[in-house]
Amino acid sequence: MAVLAALLLVVAACGDGGSDATTTTAAAGTTTEGDTLGTEAPDTTGGEASGDPIVVGSTLPLTGFLSATGVIHQIAGQLYVDRLNDSGGLLGRPVEWNLIDDTSDGARIAELYEQLISQDGVDLIMGPYATPNILAAMPVAERHGYVLPQHTAVLAPALTYECQFPGWSIGPAPNEFIPNQLADVFDSLGDEVSTVALVTNEGGSTSFVSYGRPDVEEPSASTILPERGYEIVADVPYPIGNTEWGPIAVTLQEAQPDAVLVMGLGVEANGLIDAMEQLDYSPPMIFALFPAPGPLLGMGEAADGLLSVSMFEPNEPILAELDPELQDVTEEFSTRVEEADLPYSVFETQAAATWNAWSILVQGVEGAGSLDHQAICDYLHENGADLPFAGQVSFDPEQNNFWPSNQVIKQIQGGDWVVVWPEDRAASELAGPNG
Amino acid sequence: MSQLQATIFGALSGSLFAVMALGLSLVWGFLKIINLAHFGMILLGAYLTFELATTTGIDPIITVMIGAMAMFLFGAIVQAGFERWRVSEFNSLLISYGLLIITVQVVSNVWTADFQRMDSSVNPYAAQSLALGPLRFPLPTLIAAGFAVILVVAAKLILERTYSGRALQAFGQDRDIAGAFGIDHTKLGILLAGAAGATAAIGGMLHSLGESLHPDAPFEWVGRVFAIVILGGIGNVTGTLYAGLLVGGISGLTAAVWSPSASPFVVFSLVVLALVFRPTGLFPSKAGH
Repeated sequence: MAVLAALLLVVAACGDGGSDATTTTAAAGTTTEGDTLGTEAPDTTGGEASGDPIVVGSTLPLTGFLSATGVIHQIAGQLYVDRLNDSGGLLGRPVEWNLIDDTSDGARIAELYEQLISQDGVDLIMGPYATPNILAAMPVAERHGYVLPQHTAVLAPALTYECQFPGWSIGPAPNEFIPNQLADVFDSLGDEVSTVALVTNEGGSTSFVSYGRPDVEEPSASTILPERGYEIVADVPYPIGNTEWGPIAVTLQEAQPDAVLVMGLGVEANGLIDAMEQLDYSPPMIFALFPAPGPLLGMGEAADGLLSVSMFEPNEPILAELDPELQDVTEEFSTRVEEADLPYSVFETQAAATWNAWSILVQGVEGAGSLDHQAICDYLHENGADLPFAGQVSFDPEQNNFWPSNQVIKQIQGGDWVVVWPEDRAASELAGPNG
Repeated sequence: MSQLQATIFGALSGSLFAVMALGLSLVWGFLKIINLAHFGMILLGAYLTFELATTTGIDPIITVMIGAMAMFLFGAIVQAGFERWRVSEFNSLLISYGLLIITVQVVSNVWTADFQRMDSSVNPYAAQSLALGPLRFPLPTLIAAGFAVILVVAAKLILERTYSGRALQAFGQDRDIAGAFGIDHTKLGILLAGAAGATAAIGGMLHSLGESLHPDAPFEWVGRVFAIVILGGIGNVTGTLYAGLLVGGISGLTAAVWSPSASPFVVFSLVVLALVFRPTGLFPSKAGH
C-alpha cells in the first residue's frame, strides 16, 4: 500500500498545479537603429512602439523536471521580446509576453493553452517546450485557428497542423536524418568505426530516432545503420528516468562496439560514461543525442571526443560569420544566464531554436500586416521565413512545415563543444577514435 | 561473468538506496510517521555536499559532517512540529509531502533547476572502481555499502543494547503502555527523527558522489526506497539493508539478462508478492514491526 501511495504521490508531484508562475513582459518602447533582432523581418517600423500591447501567450516548464531547459527558453524569449520592443515593437505596438509555468506537467498543457486563448484572449501564441507538450498544445491551436510557432518538436510526422511552424528542424524525418548523418560522419573516418551499440531512452523523441514510431514500418537508426554497413552489436532500450547504468555498461563492455550511440536526454550519457569508466572500459567513440551540454564538459577527459547534434554553437569561425547584432545577442544572453546563476551560459541550440521561433512569429505578423491568423499562416506558407540561425527556409505543409535540416554534429574537444560536421560548416576537424 | 558483474553493480547501488531508506523506515516503524520530507533532506544533503565541496574544495565525504548536523536539526524540528500538533500517521504523509515540495522548490531557487555535478577535480570518486580479479566494484556505491553496514550495525546496537533503543521499541509497539512506564516519547521521537535526518544527509552525500544532481531527483528515488522499506520490514534496520541489496541485485541482473526496461517490472512484482505473502517484510526481526 505504501508503494502505491508513493507512486500516487509521484504522479501527484508531477501534477502539482498550484504554482503557476505567470510573468508578463511590459513593453519597453525605446528606439534603436537597425534590425536588432538580426532578422530580415519585413516592415519593421523602427519607431517607438505605442498603443495597446500585442499579447503573446505561452507556457514553459519553469519548475519541474524540464525546467533546466525551460528556463533557457524563457531567458532567450524574454531577450527577444525586449529587443523587439526596443526596435519598435510589432506592427508599431509593444509586445507583452504572457508566460505561464506549466510545471513540466504535460497533462496540463492543453488546458493552459485553452485558458490563454479562450479566457486570457491572447493575440498570438508560442509553443511550449519539448515534443510531447507541443503535441498537446497543437490541437488547441488548431481548434482556435491560431498560428503555432514552436522551437523544439522532434516527432515531425505527428505535427500535422498546417499552421504549426518549427524553429528547429531535423527535417521531416529525423528518424532517417540523424542516423544517416551519423553514418556520414563514421564513413569519413574510413574503417575506424564498423560496429555500434544503440542505447535508447524509451521516451517518444529518442525512441523515434532509434526505432521509428510504434506500429509504423519506417526507417530508423536500427535499420539504417546496418544498411549503411554498421553492425549493431548491442541494442539496449532503457526506461525513462533510469539511473541504473552499471548493467548497461557491462552489456556494452561485452559487446565492444566501436561507437556507443546514447539516444538519451539530460545527464543520461554522464551516468553511462561514469559506469563504463568504473569498468575501466572506454569505447572508442560515444554519441549522445540530446544531452544537457554543460555537465558533459565537466567530465574532463572521460567525455573528450563525445559527439552530439546541434543547430548552432558560438564557435569563433561561426561567430565571425554571424550578423553583428546576433553576436551581441549571444553575449547578452550569456550575461542574463549568468545573472540567473545557471551553470551553462552558452547560447546554443535551444536558445537559437527559440530565437528562430519568435522570428517566425514576428515575420508572419509583419508580413500579413495584421493579427489575422489565417493571413499569418498563409504569408508564411507563401514566403517562408528568414531565420537568424538557419537562413531562408520555406514551409511546405506536405512536410508538416519542417524545412531541410541545418543540423550539425558537434564534438567535445579540449573542454569545449565545437562543430565538426559537415566539413564545410565545421569549426574544427572531426577527431576519430584515435584522435 | 557479465551477469555477476551486473548483479554487483545493482546490489551496491541498492545499498545506497538502503541508506536512503533507513531513516524513513525507523521513523515510520517507531514513530508511526511516514515522513516524505525525508526525501527532501536527502536532496538537501546532496546539494550541501555539492556546494561545500565545490566552493571550499574539501573532500565531498568530509562534508557530510556539516550536512548530517544540519539535517539532524531539520529532522528534529519537523518531528517536534508533528508532536506539537499531534499529527496522525496519514496526515503525516500529506504534511511531509508538502514539506518535500517546498524543499524541492527551495533547492531549485537556490541551486537552479539545471543539472549540477561535481567536476572530476572536486570529486575523485565518480568514475573510480576497485578491481578484484575480473570484477569491478564502483567506488561511489562501494562507499555507500560501507556506510550502509556501519549505519545498520550502529542502529542495531543502539536499538538492542541501550535504554533509549529499548524504549523506542516499546514505544513503537504500544505508545500508551510505554508512556505508563515513564518513557518520554517526545524527546525520544525528536532524537530518532534527528538521527534519521542525519542518515538522510549521508544518503544525499553518497548520491552526489556518483550522480548528477537536479531538484526533482526525490521523485526518482521514492518508488525504490519505499520498495526497500516494505520488503525489509518497516522499522527493521537489518532487513532494510538486505532488501536494498536484494532489490538492487535483482534489478541489475534483470537488466543484464533481460532488459533495463524490465527491472522496475520485476522489482515491483516482487513487492506486490511480498505484500501478499509476507506483509511484515521478507526479513524477520526481533525488533521489527
